[in-house]
Amino acid sequence: MGVSAPLLAAAGVVAAAVAMMVDGRRAVAITALFLAVGMAPTAATFGGAPGVAVLGVSGFGAVAFAWAGWAAGRRLPWVAGLDPSIPALAPSGQLFGPRSIRAFGAAVAVPIASWVSFNVPVGQVAAVQGLLFPTAYAWTCGVIRLLLARNVEDLAVGVTMVSLSTGTAWLLRSGTDSLAGAVLACALAPIAALIAGWLAGRSSRRRIAAIEADA
Amino acid sequence: MSPFVIAAVWVGLGFVAAALPRQRYARLVAIVPLAGAVLTLIAARSMSPAVPLGGLSAITGLDRAGQGLLVATGISMAFVVALQPAIDASIGRAIGVVGAAATLAMASGDPLVTAVVLTAAAGTLALRWIAQAPGRVTLAAGRVAGSGTAALIAASPFLPLTGFTTGVRPVVVAALLVAGVASLLAVYPFGGWAAGLLGSVRPLEVAPWLVLLVPVVLLLAERIPGSVLGDGVPLFEHVLLVIGLGSAAWGGYWAVRGSARARYGRIFMADVALCVAAVGGARVSPAVSGALIILLTHLTVAPLLLRAGDAELAWPRRVAWALLSGIPPSPSFWGRFLILEALAAGNIGSTVAAVFAMTAIFIATVIAASTRTVAAPRRRWQTRVPEVAAWLLVAVGIAIGLAPQSASGFVFGS
Repeated sequence: MGVSAPLLAAAGVVAAAVAMMVDGRRAVAITALFLAVGMAPTAATFGGAPGVAVLGVSGFGAVAFAWAGWAAGRRLPWVAGLDPSIPALAPSGQLFGPRSIRAFGAAVAVPIASWVSFNVPVGQVAAVQGLLFPTAYAWTCGVIRLLLARNVEDLAVGVTMVSLSTGTAWLLRSGTDSLAGAVLACALAPIAALIAGWLAGRSSRRRIAAIEADA
Repeated sequence: MSPFVIAAVWVGLGFVAAALPRQRYARLVAIVPLAGAVLTLIAARSMSPAVPLGGLSAITGLDRAGQGLLVATGISMAFVVALQPAIDASIGRAIGVVGAAATLAMASGDPLVTAVVLTAAAGTLALRWIAQAPGRVTLAAGRVAGSGTAALIAASPFLPLTGFTTGVRPVVVAALLVAGVASLLAVYPFGGWAAGLLGSVRPLEVAPWLVLLVPVVLLLAERIPGSVLGDGVPLFEHVLLVIGLGSAAWGGYWAVRGSARARYGRIFMADVALCVAAVGGARVSPAVSGALIILLTHLTVAPLLLRAGDAELAWPRRVAWALLSGIPPSPSFWGRFLILEALAAGNIGSTVAAVFAMTAIFIATVIAASTRTVAAPRRRWQTRVPEVAAWLLVAVGIAIGLAPQSASGFVFGS
């Protein structure tokens, strides 16, 4: 049975679009989950069951690590630290907000990913062309998210997107070392989730302490 | 000794040092880079240099130049910590992670491993800088350096290029590599983050990037075009040549005009940009020798010039500025002379841009060296240990200037 390229592309684009728009303390976990599911058809086509397993473990691992980091951060004594969801710079008065700019970036990423997909062959054993669109799109969106980051959470989301998209690209690459490469690339997502969760846990403890002090 | 063990020691000691009681034992953080340097010295040596363009493979080991560079950076970082007037022990964590990443990057011939460890280093530093001084400038470090490492990660599935040396693929790979290298080395147009950072955080916070990370990325960048990049070589070389020279001229101009606090950082960035232009763009043998001598000079004077410009160590700092000025027989003269020789072999435009940058650096060092400071009161001999260390560094700098090729050969093996 042939691979339906539009179906693969649609799943990846939906996942990347969600990842571009998501905000808040659970943003990294949501991003990892959506991208793991969105990239799974591509991973299944080129990496088979092990490929899906790599993405699944990375996506669900990111959720578990984010929660574990958050729980650990809340239990430790509070020290002055970084709140990952608070913007590091004051927003200037502008016509479009950060989400609108991200949406524009996601639209710009479509022709870029399309060009890469149809012009850059990937693969060691046999070059594959035209099927790179979902991964190229998710990677481009990840870099745009990094460049437009306003806080640490945004940076972690960008790293997660780059990690999972590159992991999928490694599966497309085929060859003897594709699975090992995918594992290594996808390992960044749980780490980013752990750090974001840890920082969120620590800052949530500070908020609780402040509320208790006020009461 | 495997590079993995050395990296583990860097990270382990870094986390232990970060837990030291504040103030009293904070200076012991210097043990972290020193231990890393000593272990690197006894590491098993690889015969072939590691170029991160191969397939996924194990860490191959440190070659002679990589080993020498890591030892020099470790010792320099230890001096930076030892000579700082005040230290926050938690910097040990960042030093440990960046040192480990530098070791693994230098030992790896695998593009993905190199990119992932550089991401870990850049991420650690960005988090630390944002925590220290939240703002647009520190966030930019995470944005730009993070995007640079993302570009390196993205290049990894397309490598090695064996069988694909023509067409679009090598060109895209070269573009991604250029973006990654330029972002991590803070070469314009990707360099604004470092320029802003120099005035926003304390010098010790910038030191792990400046002393540990930049030399490693520069050496790796020098090795890339010589390997199989196919049709991507011209793009890689020409872009690095143009942005390197532009960055050097711009950095030199701002070293003269900018604040005294950021002056050393600006000069460092301008010199690194010159090296990038020469080793990336000129690719004739004097360029590499010149870049190595310039790196060695900065590793020697950085511990002195990364201090705030206070009255202490005024004279060693003045001599250190003179060593950076480019007046013969300072080591920077030989380094820049070799770079100029390599660039002159290319075209007149490159030479003019490089001469402009070097002149600006010279003026900036003269301004810095001639700045008056209040004489420090005489103190007991126990408190003069930093002064002795400072003069030791100055003596090393003078020795490099008197025998530049021998010093370079002693450290890098070539």
